[in-house]
Amino acid sequence: MRPIITALSAVIIALAAPALAAADTLAQQPRGESELPWLFAVYAITWAAFFGYIFFMSRRQREMQREIDALQRALQAKDADME
Amino acid sequence: MLVRNGLLVASAALMLVTLYMVFLWVPTELNLGVSQRIFYFHVPLGWLGMLSIIVVAIASIVHLINGSQWWDDLAYTTAEIGVIFASLILVTGVIWARGDLGWWWTWDAKLTTTLVLWFIYVGYLMVRAYAPKGSQTARFASVIALFGAIDAPIIYMATEWWSSAHPELNIGPVASDSDEIGSGKIYLTLLVAVLTFTVFYAHLLVERFHLRRTESALDSLHRTFANRL
Repeated sequence: MRPIITALSAVIIALAAPALAAADTLAQQPRGESELPWLFAVYAITWAAFFGYIFFMSRRQREMQREIDALQRALQAKDADME
Repeated sequence: MLVRNGLLVASAALMLVTLYMVFLWVPTELNLGVSQRIFYFHVPLGWLGMLSIIVVAIASIVHLINGSQWWDDLAYTTAEIGVIFASLILVTGVIWARGDLGWWWTWDAKLTTTLVLWFIYVGYLMVRAYAPKGSQTARFASVIALFGAIDAPIIYMATEWWSSAHPELNIGPVASDSDEIGSGKIYLTLLVAVLTFTVFYAHLLVERFHLRRTESALDSLHRTFANRL
């Protein structure tokens, strides 16, 4: 779980912090366009979380492929030793 | 493979339609203003966050009955995706509240029970991550999932049972008045958004489940290999 939490947190902070800071400043303005940064922050965070999760899955897939390759090599080496 | 690719294509196409409807087609709600468009993300995330814990609980019960690894893998996978959706419910909710009402958080019944759901998800995943590997870990986690399933209907009914700053129920089986949701365009956009996120959720679930099955197979391969040495 640690890599996913780290990756998600980093992406979310990078995308959401500027939007949230801008939104807080603009919140004093009349209703309407002042709410746009809040909307942007929500969409940025949601998409960042989804892309972060997909990134985590693809990285895990690559790690497993490496493990499978290593196991196969080890098994071949063991079989060769037995012969 | 056909199902996985089909879900990916369908969710991507539906997401484009949803974004068009949310930003270009649906009118701005008169009372809530532009920030109401957060609703089209917040509600589908809420629906899927609650659905996930029910799926986790059902898969856990079946696993407790028959001890099947397949059901345990489904429970774990759904919990992992569920924690993402539950986190997003909270984050999108607090941002909307800050933009619309001026505060980030209040200890309102709906918000508090949703936070409890998030802690249940995190508790479930922590048990899975830190308890020793084996069937006992899955049993402990299953019990936590059952508590989560009890929380889901409480979240849904919270605005009916207690006074709340959260809007009243206007979606679902006990909604008092679905007309309050606004114009037909708003209602249709919400339905399309819910459908889109549900398809996307199914895609994530299928992908992660496939990965989880491979992880389980690899674990058993490691054990076999260790025994041979």
